Amino acid sequence: MNRPAEALPTQEMLINMGPQHPSTHGVLRVLLRTDGEVVVNARPDVGYLHRALEKIGERVTYAQFMPFTDRLDYLASMNCNCAYAWSVEKLAGIEVPERAEYIRVIVCELNRISSHLISFGSFTADMGAFTPFLYSIRERERVNDLFEMVCGNRLTYNYARIGGVSADAPPGFLEKTKEFLDYFEPKIDEYNNLISYNKIFVHRLANVAVVTADEAVAYGLTGPNLRGSGVAFDLRRDEPYSVYPKLDFKVCVGTGERGRLGDCFDRYMVRINEMRESVKILRQAIAQIPDGPVLAKVPRLFKPPAGEVYFRSECPRGETGFYLVSDGTANPSRLKIRTGSFVSMNIFEKVTVGLMIADIVAVIGSLDIILPEIDR
Amino acid sequence: MGLKQYIADIVEAVVTTAKGMKITARYGVDAGEEVTQQYPEVRREPSERFRGFLHNDIKVCTSCTMCVKVCPVDCISLEAVRGADKKMVLASYDINIGRCMYCGLCVEICPAKSLKHTRGYEKASVDRGELILHFVHEDASEIKARVAKQVAEAAAKAAEAAKAAEAAKAAAPAPNPAAGNPAPKEDPEKKG
Amino acid sequence: MESFVHSLVKAVPVLSGVPMWTLTLTAMILSAAVLLVFALTFGGVGSYVLRKVAGDIQARIGPNRVGPNGILQFLADGVKLVLKEDIIPAKADRFLFALAPYFVFVGSFAAFVVLPFGVGLIASDLNIGVYYVMAVTSLVVVGVLLAGWASNNKWALLGGMRAAAQIVSYEIPVGMALMPAVLIAGSLSLQDIVRSQGGLLGVFGWNLFHNPFTFFSFFLYFTAAQAETNQTPFDLPEAESELVSGYNVEYSGIRFGFFFLAEFGDMFVVAALATACFLGGWHIPFLHAEALPAFWGNLLSLGAFLAKAFALVLVMMWIRWTLPRLRVDQLMRMAWKYLVPLTFVNLLGVSLWLLIFKGKGIPQMIASLFG
Repeated sequence: MNRPAEALPTQEMLINMGPQHPSTHGVLRVLLRTDGEVVVNARPDVGYLHRALEKIGERVTYAQFMPFTDRLDYLASMNCNCAYAWSVEKLAGIEVPERAEYIRVIVCELNRISSHLISFGSFTADMGAFTPFLYSIRERERVNDLFEMVCGNRLTYNYARIGGVSADAPPGFLEKTKEFLDYFEPKIDEYNNLISYNKIFVHRLANVAVVTADEAVAYGLTGPNLRGSGVAFDLRRDEPYSVYPKLDFKVCVGTGERGRLGDCFDRYMVRINEMRESVKILRQAIAQIPDGPVLAKVPRLFKPPAGEVYFRSECPRGETGFYLVSDGTANPSRLKIRTGSFVSMNIFEKVTVGLMIADIVAVIGSLDIILPEIDR
Repeated sequence: MGLKQYIADIVEAVVTTAKGMKITARYGVDAGEEVTQQYPEVRREPSERFRGFLHNDIKVCTSCTMCVKVCPVDCISLEAVRGADKKMVLASYDINIGRCMYCGLCVEICPAKSLKHTRGYEKASVDRGELILHFVHEDASEIKARVAKQVAEAAAKAAEAAKAAEAAKAAAPAPNPAAGNPAPKEDPEKKG
Repeated sequence: MESFVHSLVKAVPVLSGVPMWTLTLTAMILSAAVLLVFALTFGGVGSYVLRKVAGDIQARIGPNRVGPNGILQFLADGVKLVLKEDIIPAKADRFLFALAPYFVFVGSFAAFVVLPFGVGLIASDLNIGVYYVMAVTSLVVVGVLLAGWASNNKWALLGGMRAAAQIVSYEIPVGMALMPAVLIAGSLSLQDIVRSQGGLLGVFGWNLFHNPFTFFSFFLYFTAAQAETNQTPFDLPEAESELVSGYNVEYSGIRFGFFFLAEFGDMFVVAALATACFLGGWHIPFLHAEALPAFWGNLLSLGAFLAKAFALVLVMMWIRWTLPRLRVDQLMRMAWKYLVPLTFVNLLGVSLWLLIFKGKGIPQMIASLFG
């Protein structure tokens, strides 16, 4: 068997994963150079979903851009809506009624739950367990019902407005939300029993694609991906906005409980735990919500003063920031969006070296990328 | 890897698998857990604020073009002409629901509250043209011609009245020069 | 087969004029046809049940449109598969591409021949039954590899390679886990193995309860067999979320249907083997099947066998909708570091047990205690 290596020549294989692939969470293309099953290099190729949102932003008025933020991260439209509204309000110095802020926080946290549910569900489906995916979809439908009640749509909500929200929460909404929370909280334990701590699942994720805290900061990761590496940084706490300072919640970080700190499992568990924290925030917000108007007086022909602003808020997929430059006209002169998924994608090529093809799927799932956010 | 760890691994695998299977079994046995709705037969009631297809009540519509201006995707097109009574008359009001993104900005801004979201969400067509909803069923050019005729008649009447007034003025000079100022007439050819 | 024909001739004297070989041949073709119909029906009904089970577990309904409660769904699916366009990729190896599904199907179908469905219901009671099953199911790996290679698709190739590595590795634990039953019966014939489990109320004679080692053997076999048939925790060759659909990604129409049928055929073979080797095969609890009149004995034992096998198939589906998938290296580690050593230990344990206790199982010993 001592044949020289030349007698059995091996070759690296170039595989095209995506843009049509069930586990790339959209139209992501990954060029895999593999040695058999082992990935030598995985180069993501983004841009298949580019819709020039930033350019559109320059062509429409401030208020008209709101529905486009729905399309920024369609699994967390509320968060993007509110992030944009907060940015414009900061630019124009608009005071938002407190009730509106509470409603925003409620819908944002609800959407964080539903977004993390999809992340959890599709992640488990990527790992081969299909059942949790349907459970998560089932719960998400309830959130969608709540959103339909409050804004009329089930996916692209377009609920926030500059200066508040488009309509007050309808009667029964808060009660229904509370009902949902009571229903949902035990389900998290069920998920954990069903899949999170399953031996196979843990083994698939532990010690895979470890991102150390330093690396995470250096690559600019945000949100659950950053916290998964053990960095306790949450814009809701560390750069408080809206009514978050009045709410008590914990910042979930990865603990390396089943492997090294910053592996796929940590990122996964951060999301699961964040759902719990969101439930906590929601309960407080519902208890504290005051009465009052929900929309500040904003002139119909809205022209913010000339200037520029960058406002970032904590979205389910990390920091979503809007950089707005106003020249005093009705349209922004520049609108730049910073999204969590895009920066998460940067570290992809680094962490996937030497993994297996199946792990690529795990990494994509654990970074929880969403393509419209990457390509915008 | 010690033998203890080896056995612990096996035990953990079996226990966690059993835990998961217990949950799936509970769902499998429990018949009341189904959440599927048999769609064509069972339809869920959309919420009160449901943003379905747009509908414009053209009897109420004032042709103010606010909806056209606010629409981020330019899916609403509106043509109106100034009628004889100085009110705007809708010549055509089309909504391209293939382009509409159901954001609801137009409904919010509508001052006359004539534009509304319906509960409708089912539409299939083999032709993109079918996706354009026409709310004024008459032909736009006919309406324009009719309105133009009415305006011309009104103008003629006004001119006649002015002439009569002129004649009256000539007969007995009056101090009031407010004569018939014909209503501004929209040129049908100029409209896109 | 020969004995069956002999008894037939004895029962129906008219046939004595017909040459022996024609009778044998007819009997062969008939039994093959019966088995084929059974395999196809099982594939169809199995797919329906699989989807219904999935629906139940996943809090939804599952197929319910074709026929009452969706029971005819499998016919609709079958018709769809037959009528679909048969696409062969332009750069595929056409001959091998066309050949592969047959290998896979034959590999799984041929195993039906030695399955002991009832007291006298076995197509061919080979004296090397277990060995034959192991050998013939290995054909599947050839087909899968061919499919993966001939498709000229990298995903398919990866799936084929995975399947080859997996099936070859898991054959060892599967074979080793079946050996205790062979040891106890002292025969490789499946019919003999079933007969050896007849004692004590038709339940406590089962190899499952023979001794602790056989008890574990059953679970080891079941785990390894799941892997050999590419069922979910081990469905890496297909792995729709990684390899899209693995080795059969380029197949469509009835060619895909063959893969599909083979998968369900494999499922049944595995369940039937587990039944025959550990769960007493066709033995009916509290009844002595062989003592019954031939017709009733055969019918009831067939029922008992199918009930046990179907129950195991259901368990396989249940596992399939619960567990996530292993990774390739973990799959191999599981085979070589866990299943293979454990099955060897078990085999050793069973051998020692048989040696020390002179072939007696625990239930027998307890029974002898009470006289």
